[in-house]
Amino acid sequence: MKRYLLILGLIAIMFMPYGCSCRGKQAPPVEQPTPVDTTPTPPPPPPPPPPQEPATPKVMESDFMIVYFDYDKSNIRTDQRVALDKNAEILKGNPDINIEVEGHCDERGTVEYNIALGDRRAQSVKKYLIDLGISADRIKTISYGKERPAVPGTGEEVWAKNRRAAFRIR
Amino acid sequence: MTIDIAQIQNRMRTLRRTTGIMGCLAVMLLTAASLSWGQVRDYSARLETKRGVEVTKIAVDDFTPAAGKLLSPSDSVTLTRVAEIIRADLDFSPFYDIVVVDSFYLKHMEMAAMTLLGWSQLGAEYVARGEAEFSGSEITVKYKLFYAKSGIEFARGSFKSPSSNFRRLAHKVANEIIYYLTGEQGIFDTRICFVSDRTGNKELYLCDYDGANIYQLTGNKSINISPSFSPDDRKILFTSYMRGDPQIYQYDVVSGAVDLLAAYPGVNSTGRVSPDDKTIVCSLTRDGDSELYLLERSGKIKNRLTYSAAIESSPCWSPTGSEICFTSDRTGGPQLYIMDKDGVNVRRITFLGNYNDSPDWSPKGDKIVFVSRVEGKFNICTVDVTGESFRVLTELGNNENPRWSPDGNHIVFSSTRSGTKEIYIMDRFGNEERRLTAGGGNTNPAWSGHSQ
Repeated sequence: MKRYLLILGLIAIMFMPYGCSCRGKQAPPVEQPTPVDTTPTPPPPPPPPPPQEPATPKVMESDFMIVYFDYDKSNIRTDQRVALDKNAEILKGNPDINIEVEGHCDERGTVEYNIALGDRRAQSVKKYLIDLGISADRIKTISYGKERPAVPGTGEEVWAKNRRAAFRIR
Repeated sequence: MTIDIAQIQNRMRTLRRTTGIMGCLAVMLLTAASLSWGQVRDYSARLETKRGVEVTKIAVDDFTPAAGKLLSPSDSVTLTRVAEIIRADLDFSPFYDIVVVDSFYLKHMEMAAMTLLGWSQLGAEYVARGEAEFSGSEITVKYKLFYAKSGIEFARGSFKSPSSNFRRLAHKVANEIIYYLTGEQGIFDTRICFVSDRTGNKELYLCDYDGANIYQLTGNKSINISPSFSPDDRKILFTSYMRGDPQIYQYDVVSGAVDLLAAYPGVNSTGRVSPDDKTIVCSLTRDGDSELYLLERSGKIKNRLTYSAAIESSPCWSPTGSEICFTSDRTGGPQLYIMDKDGVNVRRITFLGNYNDSPDWSPKGDKIVFVSRVEGKFNICTVDVTGESFRVLTELGNNENPRWSPDGNHIVFSSTRSGTKEIYIMDRFGNEERRLTAGGGNTNPAWSGHSQ
């Protein structure tokens, strides 16, 4: 009898850890909805038909042309009007797109003055676009001064590329 | 790091006693030292070429262990470096030069170490000597100042700090020596804040005046520029693009907290706190173009200071807070102007060159340091507030962002002379240049006040 009890006890002890660990493992799934609940929920929805992408070609930031400036100047150069006119056409053709015009400067000159100059460049682009009929509230401006050059290094070739106004889609 | 009141009293007693013993002699010599400080104008008038300033020579003996104790190798190195730092500090002063040990002299005189008389014969007027005691993790340095010729002690002091902080301790000793010699506070325990793109983004950093202990302040991975200290040195104002647009923020040096101060539409830049810590002058483009505004300390607009179609930027305060110097391109190129703090009484002060910007007003009130384009190169220049005495202080590379040290004897600036953008300090005559940073893209320095 004693032996039976001992064996029973041993068996019980042997199973206990498994029982415990099992319960431990089962604990989280308990919170899952019962199968009864799951039946009414719709089966995994079929992949939604993707909206017809190719129909309207999306405007990319790279579609906008960069506008370049002369040293220490913020007026729109005559040779840069083509670029701005093209950018204005894109904006007219995509009335749901708003933009941010970034004004940049080359590395010469002071931090403070270049921030003001970059602002002037962005403003003069904004004014040009408004004159072409683009609504002012679609154009935000920001100046990075000389803090974010497009091309690193020095020399007139590099500077010419950094004195610019770039377009970003908001 | 605290200085014991008892120590100070003790020091003053010693000073009084020595002056009592020495009578007029010490007083005369001290007066001579402070007089030479007062005759700054004479010095600058004489300085037409580099290194024309008359300097007093001072020697700093190697510091010794207190009571001849044996030091551990690391303590021994610390002790050597304490003396080296004090020498470098004093040597940086435009009015003092360090005399170095002359081994030939020692050999010739068959001496093991320099004596006061020996220093005197090498030209030193003053000699500093010191000893240090290491107990646990602390170092106590006691120093004495002597007249080299007479061998008489005229001042002494003592500082204690964790030995890991020996650099600061040495700077404090040098500060006090300068104070005994000149009657003015030294700048050796001040900090410099600057911008570096060493992480790939322009973040703010803080270092000691000599470039040691560089510490990164911001880490927002955007563009952070134009730092300036508040009068109590507890805050650093700066311009940051961390939320997109350039806005003015305030960094709390003690807690590391960052507060937004000015976020008006357009550009918010170059905020400078007034000397009374009650207002901020800055430039905003909210009304179309860059204009100067006076803000309350909280950042709320108080009033607009300038009205013109031109760019107005780069404002800075006169040391009294009654006037503001700024840049305007109303005549074509950027030039410096001064106005009263309410925006009236505007007068132009730079007429040479067609590009002058980045003004900073000297703590003594007499000069403006700024950047000027000279033959296509950007140089650090000074001009009297009256518009006279335009002087070019730099020659090599492009030089920018000059700011005065709190004693007005030094200027910190950034330069490309080594090929990369680095921070340099020099004295106000353009001498004693030292580079603080190594490793590209360091700009926009600002020098703290004395209270750092």
